[in-house]
Amino acid sequence: MKKMLVSIATAALIALPLLTNAAPVKIGFINSITGKEAQIGENLTNGAAMAVEDLKAKGIQVDLIKEDDGGDPKNALAAYEKLVTRDAVIGVVGPYTSGSANVVASRADQYQVPLLVPAAAKEDITMKGYKNVFRLNAPANIYSSVLMKAVAAYKPKTIAYVYAATDFGVSTVKTAQENALKMGLKEVANEKYQQGQPDYRPSLSKVKAANPDLVFLVSYDADAILLMRQAKEIGLTPKAFLGAGAGYTTAQFAQQTEISNLVVSATQWTDDVNWSGAADFARRYKLKYSKEPSYHAACSYEAVRIMVETASKNNTSAKLRAGLKAGSWNGILGPVKFADYDGFTNQNNHPMLVQQIISGKYETVFPAQFSKKKLVYPFTR
Amino acid sequence: MVSGGKFLQAVHFKGVIMTFFFQSLLSGLLTGGVYALAGIGMSVVFGVMNISNFAHGDLMMLGMYMAYFAFTLLHIDPYLSLLLIIPTAFLFGFLIEKVFIHRIIHHPHQNQILLTIGLGLIMSNTALLAFTSDPKILTTSYSSSAVTIFGGISLSVPLLLSFVITCLITGILFLFLSKTTTGLALWATSQNREAAQLMGINVSKMSAIAFGLGTALAATAGALIAPTYYIHPMAGHTFLLKAFTICVLGGLGSVVGAGVGGVIIGVVESMSSTYLSSDWKDVVVFIIFLGVLLFRPQGLFGKKGEQ
Repeated sequence: MKKMLVSIATAALIALPLLTNAAPVKIGFINSITGKEAQIGENLTNGAAMAVEDLKAKGIQVDLIKEDDGGDPKNALAAYEKLVTRDAVIGVVGPYTSGSANVVASRADQYQVPLLVPAAAKEDITMKGYKNVFRLNAPANIYSSVLMKAVAAYKPKTIAYVYAATDFGVSTVKTAQENALKMGLKEVANEKYQQGQPDYRPSLSKVKAANPDLVFLVSYDADAILLMRQAKEIGLTPKAFLGAGAGYTTAQFAQQTEISNLVVSATQWTDDVNWSGAADFARRYKLKYSKEPSYHAACSYEAVRIMVETASKNNTSAKLRAGLKAGSWNGILGPVKFADYDGFTNQNNHPMLVQQIISGKYETVFPAQFSKKKLVYPFTR
Repeated sequence: MVSGGKFLQAVHFKGVIMTFFFQSLLSGLLTGGVYALAGIGMSVVFGVMNISNFAHGDLMMLGMYMAYFAFTLLHIDPYLSLLLIIPTAFLFGFLIEKVFIHRIIHHPHQNQILLTIGLGLIMSNTALLAFTSDPKILTTSYSSSAVTIFGGISLSVPLLLSFVITCLITGILFLFLSKTTTGLALWATSQNREAAQLMGINVSKMSAIAFGLGTALAATAGALIAPTYYIHPMAGHTFLLKAFTICVLGGLGSVVGAGVGGVIIGVVESMSSTYLSSDWKDVVVFIIFLGVLLFRPQGLFGKKGEQ
């Protein structure tokens, strides 16, 4: 008996290094670690790190080679080329920003190394028919369409737009206008503003004078707080404030309960959605990093998990591409399948969520099958 | 009856238009007040020392952070914290002048510009390292409250308070410059540095006092805008360009000019956002700016030969 135990132990000891020595899966990860988007980049880094940990626990060894693009498309392309030529990775996750992802996507077919975009919204990225480009998150047009679907049942009639004069602001409002047209909403004000100004009251007064049912806002970080403060000051009270991402989905915004209450926004992920493992991911993330995970963290976690799990079974870029195309997953971002539809190629038809801030906390309110709470409409102070 | 209804409608329409106009005017006036304070600080430094201070925006940013930390750590109201911020900033400016600026006071303008830009960069990047790039929001109990006057025109309470304090500080500054010996010495130095020196005025001390005053005014402007704006290491840059435009518009070195210039810019910005589009407000501001430079190169309140 003793002999048997010893031999089992010896066999295990010999076998263990064999198991762990199985060549780790080599994947590249391009992210905005520095630069203007660094704050969001940190969320992506954390999400990816948690995915690597979880994969290791499952026995999949990962060699995740991280590259920083500083939010600059030039650097992102250089990083992708370095990863595929020098580091010989078989797949790449990233980059974060739309600008960077769009440029890298245009080269992925040339190098034949699959690129999985975790959170960039520009529609073009998966609309050019690239075979090696996959996207996990929903594209920009869904931001406005899901918001409008959420309020459609209440039959609003008029809409006003207030948005930053940036690529993101202008393109999001463009798709919003198309969606509004389909819903038969009448546009009564259109106010584009320069970021970082201390006084938005004149623009907001114009919106107030037009008395719209919906106010559709696109703003970055702190501008969102400034705009909502001044909207309260001048007494702008539409039936709903619809915030398309960015500044309206941060914890900092939600904490300003006096101005953020009942503001509706679109997001890729929330921690109270009923997708498998979402709540657990949020709990572990908070424990590890002492802050709330943003949707970027969840997207990055899921993108790294999907890429590495598929790559562990497919050891060349070509096989990995076929694996991503054929596979389907179910995780913290709900069901994932890279499909071709409505002019998109390898696009996960991800259902976006609508959340509403209720007493400083984001609650998922739409679509009904993913949410526990109901939308509060109309907006009241 | 019908015509009566139409008449009432017309009156209502006229009322809406008037409210609109005054809302825009007053909102511009109040914002312009804070711009004016930033412009006055820059103007005092230029008047006395003949130096364009490109660190002015970053000094404003320091004022914002001082107000923020006084509020969050010491629980002092941002407006009350001015009593703390003004002397601290004055001392800081005084020291900067003694250590750095006075060495280049007789050097060519490009050296002075490089030095102040460098100082500004050090300040903003130190703030970036120390406070990170996350914007900070100063939320007081009255941050988004407003008073409504004439049935429909709403005025932001914090902006109104800032405006009153700006008027108060400008008044005190004016009294200081025109009634006290030090003030008169400063004024004399700004009029003619050499002549003032010949009259026995310690001009190097006056320079340090002027820079201290400029810094205190910049920090005050920063602290006053903090409750209605957001605090960020690069926040000063928006205001540097404004302060500079205000100074040139009002006449470099003229305190009254900077005050009026600030209010003009505030109102023009607000009016052009209301009647054109907020996209166009900078265009309108700079067309006026160019117009003034073309037809009155010394600025609105500057003296001939000072351009």
